[in-house]
Amino acid sequence: MLHKTWRRVAIATAGLLALSLTTACSEDPGESTDLSENRVGAMASYGIGDQFKATEALSFSTLYNNHTFYPLKEDWLFWSELTKRTNVKIEPVAVPLSDYEQKRSLLIGAGDAPLIIPKTYHPQENAFVSSGAILPVSDYLDLMPNLKDKIAKWNLQPEIDNLRQSDGKFYLLPGVHEKPTQDYTVLVRTDIMEELKLAVPKTWDELYTVLKAMKAKYPNVYPYSDLFSKPNPTGALLNILGSAHGTQAGWDYQHATWDPTAKKFTYTGASEQYKQMVTYLHKLVAEGLLDPESFTQTDDQARQKLANGKSFVVTGNAQTLVNNHRPDLAKTLPNAKMAKIPLPIGPAGEINPFPRLENGIMISSKARESKNFVAMMQFIDWLWYSDAGLEFARWGVEGTTFTTDASGKRTLNPGVDFLGLNPKAPKHLQKDFGFQNGVFAYGGSPDLVRGFFSPEELEFQKVMDARKPRVVPPPAPLTDEEREQVSLWETPLKDFVTQNTLKFALGQRPLSEWDAYVAELKAKNSDQYIELVNKAYERFQKDNG
Amino acid sequence: MVILGTKTDAPKTRGPDDSRGYRVFRVVNTVVLIGVVVVTLYPFLNIVARSLSEEAYIIAGKVTIVPRGFDLTAYKLLMSDALFWTNYRNTVVYTVVATLISIVLTTCYAYVLSKPQLKGRTFLIGVALFTMFFSGGLIPNYVLVTSLGMKNTIWAVVVPNAISVFNLLVMKAFFESLPSELEEAAAVDGLNTYGTLLRIVLPLSKAIIATMVLFYAVSFWNSWFTAFLYIDRQDLLPVTVYLRNLIAGATDAQQSGAAAADVVQAAATLQAVTIVLTTLPILAVYPFVQRYFVRGVMLGAVKG
Repeated sequence: MLHKTWRRVAIATAGLLALSLTTACSEDPGESTDLSENRVGAMASYGIGDQFKATEALSFSTLYNNHTFYPLKEDWLFWSELTKRTNVKIEPVAVPLSDYEQKRSLLIGAGDAPLIIPKTYHPQENAFVSSGAILPVSDYLDLMPNLKDKIAKWNLQPEIDNLRQSDGKFYLLPGVHEKPTQDYTVLVRTDIMEELKLAVPKTWDELYTVLKAMKAKYPNVYPYSDLFSKPNPTGALLNILGSAHGTQAGWDYQHATWDPTAKKFTYTGASEQYKQMVTYLHKLVAEGLLDPESFTQTDDQARQKLANGKSFVVTGNAQTLVNNHRPDLAKTLPNAKMAKIPLPIGPAGEINPFPRLENGIMISSKARESKNFVAMMQFIDWLWYSDAGLEFARWGVEGTTFTTDASGKRTLNPGVDFLGLNPKAPKHLQKDFGFQNGVFAYGGSPDLVRGFFSPEELEFQKVMDARKPRVVPPPAPLTDEEREQVSLWETPLKDFVTQNTLKFALGQRPLSEWDAYVAELKAKNSDQYIELVNKAYERFQKDNG
Repeated sequence: MVILGTKTDAPKTRGPDDSRGYRVFRVVNTVVLIGVVVVTLYPFLNIVARSLSEEAYIIAGKVTIVPRGFDLTAYKLLMSDALFWTNYRNTVVYTVVATLISIVLTTCYAYVLSKPQLKGRTFLIGVALFTMFFSGGLIPNYVLVTSLGMKNTIWAVVVPNAISVFNLLVMKAFFESLPSELEEAAAVDGLNTYGTLLRIVLPLSKAIIATMVLFYAVSFWNSWFTAFLYIDRQDLLPVTVYLRNLIAGATDAQQSGAAAADVVQAAATLQAVTIVLTTLPILAVYPFVQRYFVRGVMLGAVKG
């Protein structure tokens, strides 16, 4: 008798344990599972490639970043066609682009935020997570078949995981790219290279020999004189040079760098890769190849040097090349030729450093209570993530704004201008139709993202596509308290790194003092910083791994 | 220039001051003040010159105070933008209405506070002073204005900052400096409080009121933040937000090298044109009010 009871207790305990274990392992269902009250207007079956159309007329308020170049117009074809296709009307809350972020914080803080909040760059959403004002969208991915499909098809899971917060969820629906589209690289005066019989440099070391040869021929010239000294000195050059060395510098400076072999984070500014990068930079300056004024001069000054033949190489992208440097040179040195070279390769190997996620959408938590919640998520999935939606947001309506030929290549209609493609056209794709709108068009496959690129730029991208994407670091989300602590450390650390990067590059501080510099970084809590990030990483692995 | 004039006129009437030392002072003073004039005038003239120049010269940094490659396309471009004019009209309307409301409220408040016999006077002054040092913060203000239903209306712009405490105190000091005998005489002749204010005090206060109008009008003309906070529709925004957005848009495109790079092309001149067009009206008003300006503030400042 007693024996039997014991056995029952044992079985019950084991059962309970098993039950609790399985629930612990499965995603926390919480309150989020029951969506039966939120399906008004939603399509009963909505899948990949389906045209979303709400079963009744709906409208969703949306924060709208109002661009100066194409100010919001109510008669845009974009609005009417969107309503025609989806039965949804977007009610824009227009905010001037100049202060978009401030207004967004205010509206969210005051509980007055629109349901859809686009144009949010990770990690801006972090600030709103703890207040509960924005929705953990990761719980609702099942409502978004196109997004799920793109994540799987394009292997974006590591990138997506990187968005996760300490609760294991993410709060931002990012713009997703199939391929990274690196635009910044080195722009070189090709006529000078031809004159000196130099081949296009493939690596940073080859670029060094090219600069060296230029210097030998024109001793009074600093061959490389760069733009972008603001907001941080030579941010663009450091950015591409850093990624080539397997670190992150300049515009892209991140305090923690993931070390895949050691499986932990290290402090970027103290790493061996960073030192290599600084050493290279110093070599350029010391041998008179890189203009020391690159770190301080205004963009206009650098432009003038290049235009007047006082320099031959700058950092830039297709826009700065086509809009600035080529017209400048055409006026001053008509025989000059300038081109983008494929991003030089460094010790990190052939990588394409550009991220594949871009700014995204936050959803107000209020939306979850709306009876149209499911319809809204389906709508977002269609407009921002379906092939048809992506094409619609960028190109507009077939026959009206563009045509597609047999091979699937899209062409702008002759009556529509964009980026000066049809300069005489009476209407503009953005200003008069509302397409190519930064609020609604992000991400996509290369044929969409690069639809308006010149053949020259497409050639450049072809070279870049052959390279591997950069390794995405694993998520290491901090808790609110940790984040507060870290933000106290970040500014002094970053300032110190920037300052010393410059000093080392300019030779004001000899590279032999590198160890002293690392020690000074430690005095500014770089070790504690990394410890915290590594702890967060391990915690996340344990909780969600 | 008016200030310079009074300074040089002064010694003629006062003989003893015409010493060597004073003459040296006058020379130094004139030179320094001309220097100040140049420094303050230069940026403005530069903007005017930019607005009339060709883009290429601006980028090349060749435009100082003389326009290069005279070009009016930016003016034509901006003036053909309907939104600019809508916002411009809004600014005019907001400024006029807001100044009117502010002047009425400030005058009434200041007049009341200037009466020593008023019960609870210290408390009322305290209430005003308190807002000078502490504010409820952005979000509570926003919630307040929104729940009052003023969002996206003119009232959100003209009501929240109607009384500037600094102006209120200046005005209060001015009213206190008026001889109380005047008001007593008015009372003997049968005027009530309102009559005294309207028929005796206000006609004597033209200088201070003109000054206040100037203070308020300039600040409302230049303000953009309140409108930015409480207005979500671009056709209700004042021209200052338009201007701000224009400048930010240009720098944004430059930094990101965004697809909208053609913005940058027109930007440098367009910015200058917008600045010129938005400053002109207030510049035109200034000289007419300025003669009251010095008198008004001084009158309030020196008591008794």
